[in-house]
Amino acid sequence: MTGAFAIAQNTIREVVRQRMVLVLALFGVALVAASQVLSPIALGEGRKVVTDFGLAGSSLLATLLAVMLGSNLLHKELERRTIYAVMAKPIRRSEFLLGKFMGLWVTSAALVAGMTAMVLALLSIVYRDTPWLLLGSLTLTVVELGVITAVVVFFSSFTTPALTAFFAMATIVAGHFADDLLYFATQGASPWITRTTEAVYWLLPHLELFNVRGQVVHGIAVAPERLAFGAAYGLLYMIALLVAAGAIFERREFR
Amino acid sequence: MTLLRGRGGLFAALVASGIFLAGAGMLQRSYRTQQGGRPADELLYYPSGIWVRQAALGYETVAADIAWLRAIQYYGEHRLNDQRYDMIGHVMGIVTELDPRFTEAYVFGAFVLAQELRQPQRGLELLERGMRANPESWRLAFETGFLHYVGTKNYQAAARYFTRASRLPGHPEYVERFAAFTNQRAGNRGMAILLWKRIEASGNKYMQDVARRELKRLEATEGI
Amino acid sequence: MSTFRDTLKTQGPGPASDRSIHAVPALPLLRLESLRKTYRDPMTLKPFMAVRDVTLELERGEIFGLLGPNGAGKTTTIKMLLGLVRPSGGRVLIDGREPSDPDSRRKLGYLPENPCFYDHLTPLEYLDLSGALFGIARQVRQRRANDLLERLGLASHARKPLRKFSKGMTQRVGLAQALINEPTLLILDEPMSGLDPIGRAEVKALLREQRARGVTVLMSSHVLAETESICNRVGILKDGALAEVGAVSALLASGVREWEIAVDRLPDAVVATLLEAGHATERIGARTLVRVADGEALQRMLRTLVDSGVFIHSVEARRETLEEHFVRVLGRPERGEAVS
Repeated sequence: MTGAFAIAQNTIREVVRQRMVLVLALFGVALVAASQVLSPIALGEGRKVVTDFGLAGSSLLATLLAVMLGSNLLHKELERRTIYAVMAKPIRRSEFLLGKFMGLWVTSAALVAGMTAMVLALLSIVYRDTPWLLLGSLTLTVVELGVITAVVVFFSSFTTPALTAFFAMATIVAGHFADDLLYFATQGASPWITRTTEAVYWLLPHLELFNVRGQVVHGIAVAPERLAFGAAYGLLYMIALLVAAGAIFERREFR
Repeated sequence: MTLLRGRGGLFAALVASGIFLAGAGMLQRSYRTQQGGRPADELLYYPSGIWVRQAALGYETVAADIAWLRAIQYYGEHRLNDQRYDMIGHVMGIVTELDPRFTEAYVFGAFVLAQELRQPQRGLELLERGMRANPESWRLAFETGFLHYVGTKNYQAAARYFTRASRLPGHPEYVERFAAFTNQRAGNRGMAILLWKRIEASGNKYMQDVARRELKRLEATEGI
Repeated sequence: MSTFRDTLKTQGPGPASDRSIHAVPALPLLRLESLRKTYRDPMTLKPFMAVRDVTLELERGEIFGLLGPNGAGKTTTIKMLLGLVRPSGGRVLIDGREPSDPDSRRKLGYLPENPCFYDHLTPLEYLDLSGALFGIARQVRQRRANDLLERLGLASHARKPLRKFSKGMTQRVGLAQALINEPTLLILDEPMSGLDPIGRAEVKALLREQRARGVTVLMSSHVLAETESICNRVGILKDGALAEVGAVSALLASGVREWEIAVDRLPDAVVATLLEAGHATERIGARTLVRVADGEALQRMLRTLVDSGVFIHSVEARRETLEEHFVRVLGRPERGEAVS
């Protein structure tokens, strides 16, 4: 396992030294600042606007980071053959993959946490109110990012960067529609369609489970059960994907 | 992890993967049944609201904010020009579909519909939707009472809603006074003045303007 | 013939036949048994045998050169040793372990061909990562990293990102990361590539140092002259199969081309006689070189010359260079048999 941590640390270094992260971070700062600028014309809803933009923006930017950087992570190693010297050390393929996953997750989580901290600071200064319950939303968003990162790592274990990004985005979008899919399943014409739709439903990540932004912005704290269930579901889903990805990667030949 | 090598290993890994996935699924199902499934009124929004909500992909409240900002701009622009606010009901409808807890949107929307478009019934419908989504909101109940009083002049309904508001948590002290007054003397001009004065003191700037206009009108009818 | 063989001895431990004197009952460090790899063309599905039935054992403390032209299967064989590629048949044992066990690489150092390392890191950071992957404690690996960079002449570049390094410098970083865990088995794929003669000499010195410490080295190379001077044994791969294996001296002893007798003042008449008899002569300045093809003829020639009163300067066996041997072996239409 120490191998995985070493790879994770290196992945963080690698990701952070890339220009895209800087761009995304700056974007984040700009977003929070802009939302504050908009607040006078929000007719008294300035605090809501800043919070909404901050939470949604951080989630979106971190997701973009995970998908765009994550989709190329493995491929770059294989392409440039940097992986050869690494795999010649006493580290398993699955450890390597796990390290990549952890490094990417930590980085995107840091982005989201940083932006949320900025929002909290801004609200404290301008509105003299620190809505600590935003941290509940942050927790679930971090878990959501873990799930998204696992999806990216899973696809990248066997396909090209472009396809990885595409499949990951598709899974994320479908993940948000998952609940509706279930509704449509019940409207299904034939039992065969219902079964297939249900199967797809259970395979997709139920990302709406992690979305509590709508309530925290209105001052409603996240229930502990929601946090616990969300974390547990997310972790199980991540493990499922990483186990599969590890097994797939274990079989890859480095030509 | 050496278990994962070989063809049998791949199968085992997929099975293990499937088990974790199944575990995740079962966990979520149990959570949902625990939460009693989806709230009933959400299904009511399905036919009309479905695409707006889904298109927002998890960022509904931001989408609501953006729609809100545009609605404000729309109102502000038309206020300076033709004073026609035909779209306000539709836009506020979208805002509240995206963010059902957005109290101010229901209130402002109903206000404009009643006072500017002279369609208090539509305003009341908007507030009704708001109250269904937020049954614990004293504000929405109160504003409904207010609209009944100054809009439709249905003093009995006003009294009912003021009373309801006075029983909901977090209400300020004046709610009880208004409830008491309307219950005792329905149809009182003095009451109407008090209600408008409240808006003049604490509404958003547009509502304050309207309040001042109404107060002037009411003061002019004194003695008639 | 032993006296001539003495003059042909390479540096380092003696040829394979001396093995019995130092009989060590320990496990061979590296063992390949009937190793095979077949690739299938993804388009046509035609099979291609990259490595056929390679059987080889490396002794502890020897430097073994794996030679062969491009596409002979050297890199594929090495990849199978490291677990980067799975054999289609046969097996590999590193100190008794199979490559699928990551622990087989705990005391292994590897330098890939045309190495590429994480560009965004400095050599110190990269060596720290490598050391961490071996589970070496932070203090220890930092100390070793500094020592290695010093030893390889990279101390002044220790904090520059690797993306700024030349090929030769990268090669040296590669050696450093291969040595960070103080390995007992070194696997080097084209270690001399990209290095100037000084660089190559340094690498050779380093390898001799490692050998003196008891490290076993497997190196693949194109640069035959270099290989010749430091390898104990070589194996020649041809079309995926081992055409020959043996100590350099043994391989080349069997390929003595001819002997050259350098003499002074050979009278023209004698030259004419020699030419008539079918021997080649060559005049170089005041000397004449007489070439004799086999041992028998050599004895007669020497007697003849001595009896003629000719002053004999030197007698040299002009054996094949490894390069000539290599070309000859690979030119053979059939697979050669392993020697040893």
